[in-house]
This record gives sequence, C-alpha cells and structure tokens, in this order.
Amino acid sequence: MPSVFVTGANRGLGLEFVRQYSADGWRVFAGCRTPGSADALSAIAAETDGRTTLHAIDVSDRAAVQRLALTIDEPIDLLINNAGQMESWDEGFGRIDYAKWEDLLRTNLFGPAWVSHAFAPHIAKSDRRLIAMMTSGLGSITDNRIGGRNPPGKLYLYRSSKAALNMLVSKLSFDLKARGIAVMAMGPGHVQTDMGGPTAKLMPPESITAVRKVLADRTLEHTGRYFFYTGEEYPW
Amino acid sequence: MPTILITGASRGIGLESARQYAADGWTVLACCRTPDTASELKAIGGVSVHALDVTDIGAVDRLARSIDQPVDVLMNNAGQNMRPPRGLGDMNYAAWSNLFAVNTLAPFKMIEAFQDHLRRSDRKIVLNVSSVMGSITDTSGGHVAYRSTKAALNMVTKVLAGDLAGDGIIVFSIHPGWVRTDMGGPSAAISPEQSAAGMKKVVESAGAGSNGRFFDWKGDTIAW
Repeated sequence: MPSVFVTGANRGLGLEFVRQYSADGWRVFAGCRTPGSADALSAIAAETDGRTTLHAIDVSDRAAVQRLALTIDEPIDLLINNAGQMESWDEGFGRIDYAKWEDLLRTNLFGPAWVSHAFAPHIAKSDRRLIAMMTSGLGSITDNRIGGRNPPGKLYLYRSSKAALNMLVSKLSFDLKARGIAVMAMGPGHVQTDMGGPTAKLMPPESITAVRKVLADRTLEHTGRYFFYTGEEYPW
Repeated sequence: MPTILITGASRGIGLESARQYAADGWTVLACCRTPDTASELKAIGGVSVHALDVTDIGAVDRLARSIDQPVDVLMNNAGQNMRPPRGLGDMNYAAWSNLFAVNTLAPFKMIEAFQDHLRRSDRKIVLNVSSVMGSITDTSGGHVAYRSTKAALNMVTKVLAGDLAGDGIIVFSIHPGWVRTDMGGPSAAISPEQSAAGMKKVVESAGAGSNGRFFDWKGDTIAW
C-alpha cells in the first residue's frame, strides 16, 4: 500500500485527506500540533488497524520537524504540505500587522520547506515520490483580478505567502529532480472549512476527491507546476 | 516640480535615480540607512537626505509624519540579496526572514505610510523595484530565498493595484535589469545610468494601464 504524510491533519482539508486515504487502505501519517485533542482524527485512525497514525508536528518549529523525521523509518510516497494559516479579510491595507506577516510566512512557507527537506529521504525511497504543496488560487498573481476566480484586493499576508510558496515549488522541483521527486502546487478550490468560511461553494469531500484524482496521475513530468483541483493548470 | 521619494538611495540604482531626477529639477527625498556615510548622495545638489531603515516600522511612520509635501512617485528601491545564495539544505532561515522584511514587507509599509502623500500628488505612482528573478514562470534553479521575496513583492503589487485603483494610485513592479552595482556585480549587463534612465522613462509613460503590471527597465512586460 502507498503511504501519505499529511500536515495540518486535524481539521478541514487535512482531515478529509486522512479520511479518504485511510478509507482507501493507505498507510497514513497524520500530523497535527496536538494529537491529544484531535478527536475527529483519532476516531478515523481507530478504524484502521494501526495503518493511520497520529504525529505531533508544529510545522513552524524546524527542530521539532527534524526530530519527527528521525523517528519515522518508512518510505513516504506522497507528502501533502497542507498546514497553513490565513489572516482575516478585514486585516487589509492600512491595518497590517507586520509581526503576524512574519509568523504567517514561517508557517506557510518555511514550514513546507522544513517538512519537505526533513522528509525528502523518506520520499526518495518510495515508489511515487511526490510532494504536493497546498497553495491556493489566492496564490496566483495572474488570477488576482476582476473577473478572475479570486476577488482582487486584501489578504496580503496569505496571498504573498502562497506566491512565495509557489516560488518554492518551482525551485524545489529543480533541486529534487535528480532524486526523482516531483513537487507541485495544488489549489483545492474555495472550500467550506474554518479557513474558507461558510459561503464557499465546495465541500471538503468533493474538493479532496478531486485533488486526489489529480495527484494520482502526476509524475516527475509534471514537476514544478501549479494545478487546480479540476486538473487544469493554474497560471502563476 | 514633482517630488520623488527613493529608498536605498545611497548607492547603486537608487543613487543614480536620485541623481537623474535631481538633474531634471524634481524634488528628491532620498532615504538611506546612514546619511553620514552617504557622501555621493549628499554631493548631489538639491536632494534632501533622510535617515531611514525601511524595516523599522516606527521609523517609517515617523518619516511620513515629518514630510508634509505630496509625493508624486514612491520608488521602493531598497532591497537585499542573500550572500552567498543558499539552498534548503544549508539555508539560513533568519536571513531569509530578514530578506522578506527588507524586500517585501518594507515596500508595503512605505506605501501604507505614504498613501496620503501619494493621494495628494498629481502622478500617484509607486514603483516596486523587483527582479526578473521573482518571476515564477522563469524555471531556472537556485536563489530560492531572494526569488521568493520578490515573488511575494509582485503579489503585493498586484493586490495593491486592485485595492488602490479607486484612488487613482498606480502601482507596478519593475525589473531594473542586471546592473553593475554592489548587488549585480562588475560583470552585469548594464550600467546604473542605463537602468535608472530606462526606469525613469517607464515612470514618465505610466498610466492607469500600468497599474498592477510587471515591467523591465525598458518597459517590456515580464510574466509573473
């Protein structure tokens, strides 16, 4: 069975990834900050005969990420860097908290860099060798426009962190090609989660079913690219 | 005469831009960290020099309060590169974070602080000096830290363009070229004079259609 490591697995899209891969019989490493209080995640894991395991990981703590990687000795076919943060919509121009911006870059950019680097050896010895960065349509500089999928303006912290993450995808794909590891950016669409809010048009099961379908046939040939959950390529 | 505010004006492209705008009779507000050692900048006649570390949020606000005149053009030029460039394996993350403070957060803060000065001016132009290395479409490898800060700056440009269009403010990113400066090195393709003159032309011809775009120093569009 293939294996997947998901960060931010206790809720939202991360939880849905764990639910679906667990149901398909995958070996699932479910990472979240406090497994002790991740009840929904624990309930899923309890049904898997130990195939789904919970791991404490705060992606913004580099040393802790590295320590966790040393405790896992199995290959990882697919790493899903899903943990991320977003500021609220009213923290716009003129009301920017610069310390929060730095924190958000740490979680949304350095976190995926640390996790990818720490787990690259596990991924390199797997069959599929794929890293998916959950970015967002909001990370597309091109599509940030009137008439685009995403409304223009606001969310400077989140959008800039995702554009930076997209750049990481591009450069990391270059670095990891020789090890046979593909890296891509994934936009899950606007989904009803704590982050996406109650008005989003997609529910987590639909989004993640579609994202998994896209990831299932992506290989080294697609490395360094940016895909929407529909499988369309997203413009940077 | 119009007014331009330039950050990172003590050397390289900033210094040369100060020189060229001053020569054209513009009022030049030139910012640099340590005016005491900025002898070349101070040697230019008619330029007012202001001490500013662009990463010091409080200092940016204080400077904005101390300047009363409208600012026609804000040139967010101060920037840094990581030396030597590092990959993820040997990355200095504190340095990467600092690079974001200088290259991404500081230009945004300058625009926040000087928004009223821009609104009161005739031209209302902000140029964020970015780099072609911030183009994600460019698939060459390396320099992930520097590139990510410029991609993030480009996003800031694009989002601001949407937010501020109603105020008539025009924001764009510009690639100054590969310039023979301390950052570009001695074997770079063009001189600071060429780069500054080219960007000056782009500013002169800027209009509503320039808002939220990414140009090079010749005015050609660069892909995000």
